[in-house]
Formats: sequence, structure tokens, C-alpha cells
Amino acid sequence: MRFDTVIIGGGLAGMACGIRLAQAGQRCAIVSQGQSAIHFSSGSFDLLGRLPGGEAVSDPVAGMAALAECCPSHPYAVIGAENCARYAQEAPGLLREAGIRVAGDCRRNHFRITPMGKAKATWLSIDGYLTTPQVGEFPFKSVCIVNIEGFLDFYPEFIAEELRKYNIECRFGSFNHPDLEQIRRNPSEMRSANIARVFDHDANLEALAEALRQQATGCDALILPALIGINRNDSLEYLRERVGLPIYLLPTLPPSIPGIRAQQALQHRFRALGGEYFLGDSVLSSEIEQGRVARIFTANHGNIPFEARRFVLATGSFFSKGLVATFDRIVEPVFGADTVSRPSRSEWYTLHFFDRHEYQAFGVRTDNRLRVVKEGAVLENLYAVGAGLAGFHPVQEGCGAGVSLLSALHVAEQILKD
Amino acid sequence: MNIQQNSVSENNFEQCIKCTICTVYCPVAAVNPDYPGPKQAGPDGERLRLKRPDFFDNALKYCMNCKRCEVACPSNVRIGDIIQSARIKYGPQHNTSLRNFVLANTDLVGSLATPFAPVVNTAVALKPVRFMMDKVMAIDHRRVFPKYAHGTFTSWYRKHAAAAQEAYPKQVAYFHGCYVNYNNPQLGKDLLKIMNALGYGVQLLDKEKCCGVALISNGLYKQARRQAQTNLRSIRTSVKGRDLDVITTSSTCTFTLRDEYPHLLELDNADVRDRIELATRYLYRLIQEGKAQLKFKDTTPLRVAYHTPCHMEKMGWGYYSIELLRMIPGVEVTVLDSQCCGIGGTYGFKKENYEVSQAIGAPLFRQIEASGADIVATDCETCKWQIEMSTSKPCEHPLHILASRLA
Amino acid sequence: MNNTYDVIIIGGGATGAGIARDCSLRGIKALLLERSDISTGATGRNHGLLHSGARYAVTDHESAVECIRENKKKKKIAAHCVEETDGLFISLPEDGLEYQSVFVEACRRAGIRADVIDPKEALRLEPSANPALVGAVRVPDGVVDPFRLTSSNILDARMHGAEIRTYTEVMELLREQDRIIGVRAYDHHKHCDEKFYARVVVNAGGIWGHGIAAKAGITVNMLPAKGALLIFGHRVNNLVLNRCRKPADADILVPGDTISLIGTTSSKVPYDQIDNMIITPDEVDLLLREGQKLAPQLATTRILRAYAGVRPLVASDDDPSGRTVSRGIVLLDHATRDGMEGFITITGGKLMTYRLMAEWATDLICKKIGNNEKCRTAETPLPGSTESREEVDRKMRSKPVVQRRSSISRHGDLAVKIDSRTSIQNSLVCECEEVSIGEVEYALENLEVNNLVDLRRRTRVGMGTCQGELCACRAAGLMGHRNPVCARKAKEDLVSFLNERWKGMAPIAWGDTLRESEYMTWVYESVCGLSDEENRAAK
Repeated sequence: MRFDTVIIGGGLAGMACGIRLAQAGQRCAIVSQGQSAIHFSSGSFDLLGRLPGGEAVSDPVAGMAALAECCPSHPYAVIGAENCARYAQEAPGLLREAGIRVAGDCRRNHFRITPMGKAKATWLSIDGYLTTPQVGEFPFKSVCIVNIEGFLDFYPEFIAEELRKYNIECRFGSFNHPDLEQIRRNPSEMRSANIARVFDHDANLEALAEALRQQATGCDALILPALIGINRNDSLEYLRERVGLPIYLLPTLPPSIPGIRAQQALQHRFRALGGEYFLGDSVLSSEIEQGRVARIFTANHGNIPFEARRFVLATGSFFSKGLVATFDRIVEPVFGADTVSRPSRSEWYTLHFFDRHEYQAFGVRTDNRLRVVKEGAVLENLYAVGAGLAGFHPVQEGCGAGVSLLSALHVAEQILKD
Repeated sequence: MNIQQNSVSENNFEQCIKCTICTVYCPVAAVNPDYPGPKQAGPDGERLRLKRPDFFDNALKYCMNCKRCEVACPSNVRIGDIIQSARIKYGPQHNTSLRNFVLANTDLVGSLATPFAPVVNTAVALKPVRFMMDKVMAIDHRRVFPKYAHGTFTSWYRKHAAAAQEAYPKQVAYFHGCYVNYNNPQLGKDLLKIMNALGYGVQLLDKEKCCGVALISNGLYKQARRQAQTNLRSIRTSVKGRDLDVITTSSTCTFTLRDEYPHLLELDNADVRDRIELATRYLYRLIQEGKAQLKFKDTTPLRVAYHTPCHMEKMGWGYYSIELLRMIPGVEVTVLDSQCCGIGGTYGFKKENYEVSQAIGAPLFRQIEASGADIVATDCETCKWQIEMSTSKPCEHPLHILASRLA
Repeated sequence: MNNTYDVIIIGGGATGAGIARDCSLRGIKALLLERSDISTGATGRNHGLLHSGARYAVTDHESAVECIRENKKKKKIAAHCVEETDGLFISLPEDGLEYQSVFVEACRRAGIRADVIDPKEALRLEPSANPALVGAVRVPDGVVDPFRLTSSNILDARMHGAEIRTYTEVMELLREQDRIIGVRAYDHHKHCDEKFYARVVVNAGGIWGHGIAAKAGITVNMLPAKGALLIFGHRVNNLVLNRCRKPADADILVPGDTISLIGTTSSKVPYDQIDNMIITPDEVDLLLREGQKLAPQLATTRILRAYAGVRPLVASDDDPSGRTVSRGIVLLDHATRDGMEGFITITGGKLMTYRLMAEWATDLICKKIGNNEKCRTAETPLPGSTESREEVDRKMRSKPVVQRRSSISRHGDLAVKIDSRTSIQNSLVCECEEVSIGEVEYALENLEVNNLVDLRRRTRVGMGTCQGELCACRAAGLMGHRNPVCARKAKEDLVSFLNERWKGMAPIAWGDTLRESEYMTWVYESVCGLSDEENRAAK
């Protein structure tokens, strides 16, 4: 199989890169080992929430520029502040063209509200999710937080506890329906996706609207767990219209409905642009000729290799097995690329779960064009993007999605320039 | 120290890190609350079964072995294999129901039915007969039974084709499967037409038994293993004795021969596995390598919607069939979202599964109706039955479409 | 006065719980004070081996005899906390077979059945054993769940009138001349001091007993010995595997519920470090290296966590009674030993002999307060162990099979008390260990649960493969839901729970465990936005 570019990894970075290349007319393939970490999305995309030293960032573009000084190995510093600012302007368009309705400003973070009611600085949020321009500036004075009877991955009390700190009056509501009792017959599958399928039916959505209307009397707004519209786009608008009140969604514990939808939207977009998406396959070996990756062989395709002029490594970090921690070292399993890591396991982490752990910043060694380094030498046509890059703490710095999107666009631009 | 060096547990189920992604993609759990779902039935349950075998839950029988959980899993856990292996290891060992026996023994029943095909076909289409089958055997009366051919593919091959095949300079072996033999010999004839046009003669295996997929899913493991051993012997004779690749036309048979034999029946096929492939992949490879060229005659416009069967999705080979279809002049291919049609081999024939089966397939049926396609193409015979029964469109094998337009 | 008792027991380990039960069965009004949760000390941090005594047969005849006697009793009175698996003592080529004959002879002398079996037979019985083994002896070793055992003792003690106060830490022993008359204790929940009075105060604080005795100006010189263990992700072996050689590091692999664990190392630690056990990479290496000699597949089995316990070894030179053997039971009457009335210390011993220790201590209490009741704990089954597993299973037919069997193995016949009338109550909180909402509610109402870690000890929530990844949040939510005022506390509790889980994962965080940790970080820190800032501030 011959392609212009083969991307290994079908998460946010891989797909963003693939979409940009396919848009430019390239024939692209994505090889993905299973579904990606987008399935745990919070409904928002972070660009930069904190600097490595812990200072809060309100203007991500300015923050990215500051990284060049304080943290030159950060992917944003490697990509360059000006480039970052440009890609940050571009990225929302890419998501919107795929059908992911996001809003936000790369010059000013807003705050998303988590399932625990906490506020986290973020860049882009999907339409319908509860956000505030500043911490505590809620768009309502009183709110009714409604859960689905028996849904265990969403806790209104936790949310209310935070909201009440800002003098928001909170009430609780709940919803039940015979179709939900069907799911509850199974002790483990009362999960977001199964519930969301119930609400994809018109009649059930209407029943929900009716219940919400009754429960919300006297409230300014409603909060719902993100359990509606897994296979349709209009559910939230429909509810808002029928209830006649603002309705805000909050993400749930995995699997995340906005995540599943975003994954599917990006996949569709990539395919619609002519891209080939190979799901559930893993790269077993590669052939490198004169400093270039010539072809890769996968588990499914055996003796038919993927050949391309360029390859992109978008395999993610530990979760997605883009990086593998063995007993005593950190390995990049596809190409055996060099990694940036610490030699002694005791340096990988501290004993406190919520600390900034060194392992989170481990990654693939690249040159300043994000080309992968193996045994000290640059592989000319292999680029790295996304969570597998070294030098940043995606969670602590609130920059995981941003690094994925911006590095993807940066690599796509370089591939197209060459 | 050479311990934990690979850091990956050899106990495949331990690679599950409870991310829950598989639960989103299980077609059964989405519609049947009695099924515990892939995570619970698979890796979670396996850990408990290792503690005590009596943690086996008979509800694992609702898994229809589509392997979509495995395709979705980012951790490479062979969830479907874990579930099916648990059924083999811990489940009821004697499955004596007449219904399961009939559904599972596709070749035995086929060879009994084909001589009387017109009678059988008429009979199983009759309401009273279907009513009886429903009551006596728990085969759902709403199910349209696949028609049997009058005369098998193999008898046709021996009478009309065998002799001519020797003349071709290059040769392949063909595992036709029960469907081609008893229900649709035309597909076998189509394959011969295509291969012959490319200069390849087609040989049958010494002895071919049903691949056993239906036996496995109906709990007849010993028989499945016996038949698998027969097939592997024949395949080895072809591959090693005569240096012939073995090509197939059914995605499920192919998957069973290549992957279920080692994973579920514990039969090592590593020496021949790579030589068993779908004919569409084989053709794609020949054409890509410049070893063959297809010439077409009929170029009338045809809108084809391709449906990726579950086991095709698992193998990742839908690409080859789709690319072949795209090579046909006049054919416009749309690829349907890869989702289960609900039939699951013999699963959907069972009375207790009928509703679930149709509910699983509903989104696909809707997409097919809305596609504007003239015809649906797919590599799986049971998907074909389900789609033809549940939608207004005809459904054919890609090779049938290809053969019909060949010069 | 309602703060006056016959006896105050300090320490909620197996021994303290056993004394509380024994006392209350003999009609003695008892109060048990525990600074944390029950079974948080050495009780909950060991192998969970139901010793046959074989392990001590060669080196410590007396302990071996105690073990085999208690072994037989426990199988009767604590059936639901025990699994009668049997154990193998295997000889590897490097061990030779000389020790085997010494060992078998010593077992017979102690009254322990010890059958030499053919290596092939040994491998058939236990396929995970090292196939290189040259000899094997089968003994009646088994498995005991220390959390269940302690919890059942507590439950029974309470049913018979004992008062149990967890999270209540003894700060001072109240003295009147040469007599201890009670204690001053700090209630960690109400944040206040309280005084309690009794005729006898029992120090059952395990290694912490050293500090408790010191409050009375009495020296009980203990040598803290740290033992590290590793927990593997699933049940690798069904028979306990021991090395047939002089007891050494990492020579025993015990199956326990859904997991197997290898242990232990043994190292002296300073007394001021006993609340701060950290597993070193060297200990992990040692456990793995030796462990895979017992069962080679440990090299490719996922490790869930590492932890360490501190054994209370009593230095014999300070013991005037002269009864002290390194791991033997030490019962000190401070009236005769130190001239301090109303105060006794029970320490040393093992989980295995907790009942016997409790019996000795209670006998002494009885003597002091003039009670003539006989000990009944050797015959009376614990709550949960009065009906057979099969009978309970029959009663619970309507529940889903996997959930049913899981809850029966945790609660024995008390599993029938788990409310499962609605589908919501049957929903799973913990999917790895099959813990339902009904079971969590049962634990919250009946088993003295104050936080998520307590809940884990009672139900195995968060003890499975994912170490709390899905269930921690659900369980915290349930606890917050029951008491909406405490949503903040429930969140703090969730943070503490995650920290506690990570502490055990960090020493072995590579491979899939590190993947799991990264995923947990995404879920809890990123999606949920949790941090431990507030918890640290609270401290």
C-alpha cells in the first residue's frame, strides 16, 4: 500500500495532522491501535493553563512565548512562539470543519467546570458545556442539577458543594424512564454511552424535556451530565427549546460522550477527505534505508507493508503505548527511537499522586523540526507529534490538547513545505 | 536483571486498564441487558474465573464473537478471545439442543438439503414450517432462511471445471466454505472466472470441512477441533506439498482458519497462516505488484455501498475489497460506517436473539436505505442474508460484482 | 457513669478485636480504642497465610504447635475468612533435599500432616510451581483474610455489648498511684479529648504498644522488623508455595481472594519510622528475583502494588518472664513485672495465633476482675461463618452469579443482608471485585466505615486491577450522597484514597501499572480537576 504520508496513531494529534495533509491533497493513511484517548475528553481543549513553575496563565499565547525563556525543551518552545500563535488561530477551524462546535480564544483562557464542580482554565470548549469567563462568574444565580437515576459516574452533590461557594443556589433533580430500567438490569452497563443511546430516541428525549421542565421551576438554569446526543446533533437545542431555560452539560467519568463524538467527527472528516483509517492494527516492524523510514509492517497486513514518503509518529504516551516503561527504562516501541527520560526508576515519580511526576514529561527525542532521533541520528522522514513528545506535563500545565493540535499542524506544514 | 523486562503481562487480560472503551463498541451490550458486556465478561470476569471456575456466568453465551471490542481496545486485549475461551473452558460441555446442532452443522445439513433444494427452500419459506421450526427448534419464525442451491459447488466443479483448471500456468487452492458449496455456488464460479481470466487455475483442497465457526459459537468444541485438524491437514498439503496459496471468499471462514484456530481451538497454524488469504486481498496484491491486470466490459454506472463485516473489520482487510471495487469502471463506491449488522452467524437465527439481532442492525439498515446505492457489497454471507432480509437492497459479494463486469 | 468499663483495649488489630470479642462473650464490658481503622497495622499488612505451623516446625517447635492447633480451630470458627488450599514446600535444585527430611520430621513432631509427594504430582496440583523442583511436601497451609477476620470479631464483639471506637487515639494513660485507671483519648472526628475509665487497660497495640507502654513509664523493648510484599494482579497459584529451606526472604507465595502475594523481606527499621514505610527498589528486586524461583510466571505477571508491615518482635533480654521466643506470644502483667496495677500488654505472636493471644489476655483480665467464665471463642463460629457457602448461595439465587459469589466470599452468610431489591442496588461500584451499591450500603451501615480506605478493607472496593480508577469516585459519590453536607469531606477523602493507592503503586509503576496511573491522572486531575491542595492545607 502506497501513501504520501502514513500516520501511526489515530488520536487527536494523528487525526489533526492527517486532516491537514488530506486537505492539501495528500493521500494519507492512519494506523491506529484501537480507539484513542479522546474518549476521555472533558469537552474542552486546553492550550496552556499553567507555566512549568505553577504560575497560572491567562493569556496562552503570551504564556507560550514565555516558555521559550523558562523551558526551551517544551514542545511549544521547539515549535516557536510565533508558529504556535498562528496554529492556535488555525486549530479551532480544523475542529469546526469536522463538526466539533468549539468556542474560545487563544489570547484568553476561560474556565470549564469539572464533574467535581472545580474550575479549570481552558482554551476551547464544545458548545453546551458549562464554562465561565472567570472563576465563579456563573451565568445563573440558581440552578437545578439533574442526574439520571442510577448513573454512578456523576455526582450532583460534588458540583453543588463548589457552586455554593459562589452563592449559587443549587437544587437537585433526577430522571427515570422505563428504557433506563432496561439498562439497569445489567449491573455494570449503566454507562454514559448506553444511556445516551436511550436519549437518542425522540420519545425519550421528550420525556426528559418534560421532566426537566417540571423540576427546574423557579431555577435560572439546568445542569445535566453529558449523556445526550451520541448519534445526533440536535438533542441539546431540542431540550433547551422545550424546557425554555438555559441547559448546561458537564462531562462525566469515562467513557465521555463529547469524546466519542469528537473522535467520530474527526474520523469522518479524515475519511471524507480521502484518508484511509486503519483501526485496531499495530505496527510490528519497520525498514529504515539510508536514514529514512521506507516502510512499516503491521499485524493485520502482514506481507503487505505501508509505504510512504513520510511517516508521522503519533502514538501517544504511556496509555496508548507510544512510550513503554519497562522495569528500568523508557522505550519507544515502534521504531526504537531515542527517548528523553531518567535512568533510575526512583526518579520517575514521587510518592504523592497529585505531584508533578517526571515520567509525565518523558518522550521521544526529536530535533528542532520534530523529526525523530534514533541512535543519535535524525530519521529524515519521520516526525513526532502529540503526547509522545518530551518536555511537557500535559495535565499539570494544562496543555495536552494544545500540544497535540499545534505539533500536528506544525509537522503537517513542514511536510507540505518540503 | 532479566525479569519484568518486557513489562507486558503474558496474561493478556492483565493489559486491560479498565478504560471502558470496549463497552462503547459492543453491539450486544448496547441492546441486550442480559449480556454483561465485554469488560465484565472478558478481562474482569477472567480474573474472577481464575480465582474459582464457578464464577463463570452463562450469560457469556450472548457474546456473538464479533470482536469489535478487540478492534476498539487501545490496550491490545483479546477480549473476544477471552470470552469465547472461557465458554470453552468453563461453560456447559454438552450442548445437545437440536436447534444448535442443526445451525452448527452447516455442512451436514447442507449436504442433506442440497439434493432436495427446491423442496427444502419451499418448505422453509412456508409459514407453517417456519412456525414449527420456531416452536420445536426455537429458530425464529420471522427469520428468512438462506436458500439452498440445487447441487453443490464441488459437484459442479468436478463435473464442469476441474479438468480445465490444470491448463493454467499458475495455480491457487480454494477454500470455498459451506455457503458457496450449498447456498451460492455462483460465487465459486465467479471466483473461477476471475482467476482464470488472470491466468490462474483454481484447485480444491484434498478434503474440506466446515471451518467450524458455527460449531464454536454453538458450543460443539470437540467437533470444531476435529474439523479444524482436517482442514489444517488439507491446507498444509496444498501449501507445503504443492506450494499453492489458499484463497477464500468468506471473511468469517478466513478469520476462523487464520485466527480462531490458534486462539480458541489451540491449534498451531503458524506455518501456513500467512498463506491463507481472502481472494480480494490476493487479487489486490497481484495487481499492485503488476502481476495481473483486470479487463472490464460492462461499465454501466453502479452505485455500490460497501458493508464491512465484523471479522473483516477485525482482520483490517476491508481496504482490499473496497480498492478492488474502486478499480471497476462505472462503479461508485461509498463505504458504510463499520458497524455490526446483528446476524452474528447463527446468533440471529435463534429465537431468543431475534429482537436483539434486529436492534443491533437497525442503524446499519437505516444507513443503507439512505445511501442511495443500487446494491450493497460485503464479504460475509451471513451479513448478506441479514441485509437482504432487513433492507430493500440486494447484497452481493464484491467478487460477484467484479466478475459480472469482466471482459 | 457511661465512660466506665470493665476493660479498655487499646488497638484494633486482630488481637485487640479478638480480646474485645472474648471479653464480651464472657460478659465483660469492654471498650476498644483504635487510633485509625481496624486492621491497619501488622494485621492487615502480612501474607494472610493460614499457617499450618510447618514454616516454624524446624526452628520454633512451640510456635508450630500453636499454629496447627489454631489452624484447625480457625477453619471451624472463621470458615468464611479462610480458604483451605493446602500448601507445598518445594525443594529446588539449589536447595537440595537434605532439609526436606529434617523438615518432615519436625512437622510430624509438631503434629502437622506433612506428605512427601512426587515432583510430577506437585506440578499437577500446582501448575504454577517451578518445574525444576526436585521435591515437594504437602502441608495443611491455607489462606486467611485478615480484614474479614478482624471485622467479624469486631462485629461479634459489638453484638455482645462491646463498644468499638475507631479513629480514637490514646494520648495518655490515667494513673492513680501505682495503678492505671483509664485513658485520655483524642477523637479524630470530633476533634476533642475524652476520658475513659476501666479496671484493666490492655495494651494490644502491636508494634505501637512500645509507645503505649512508654506512656505509663514502662519499657517494652520492641524491635520493629519491616516485611515488604508484592501483590500480583490475579491468582497465580491455588496452593500456598513455600521454599523447603530455612526461612528466608521472599520464599512464600500465597493466593488470597483474587490475587497472589509474595513475601517477605525482613529488615530492622528504627522505631521512629514505623509509620512511614517506604518500599525500596532493592526490596522490589529481591521479591521478584526470589519470587520467580517459586513460580516462574511471576516474571510475566502484572504487579498491582507493594506494601510493608512491621512485625512486633520483642527483645527477650528485657523480658523477665523468660517466655519470649522471637515470634512467640508475649503476655506481660505489668503488676508483677513493673509494679503497675491495672495494665497488661499482649504482643509478639502472629495473626495465626490472635485468638489464642486474646484468650490468654482475657484469662488474665478475668483473673484481675474476678470473672469465672470460660473462653468460648475456640468453638463459637464468627458472624458470617455459621452457614456453608453453598447454603448461602442457594438463598441468594436471584442475584447475578458473579456478584453473588463475590459477596458471599467476603461476608459469608451475612451476604444475605445485602439489600438487592432494586436494580440500582445491584449496580456495581467496583467492577474488578464486583462490589454492588447494596454491598457498599451494607458496609456503611454495619461495618464501621468512616472513609474510602475503611470501605476498601471491608469490601475490596479499589483492591482490584484498577486500584480505584473507576470505583473510587463512585464510592466517594455514594458516601457524599448519603450525607450531602459532607460532599467536601467525601472529595477530600477521594483525594486521600488516591494518594494511598498510589503509594503502593509507585514502587512498581512500570508497564501496565504506569499506563493505568497515567490514565488515572487524566481522569482525576484533568477531567475532574482534583488536586490535593485543599488536603495539604487542611493538614
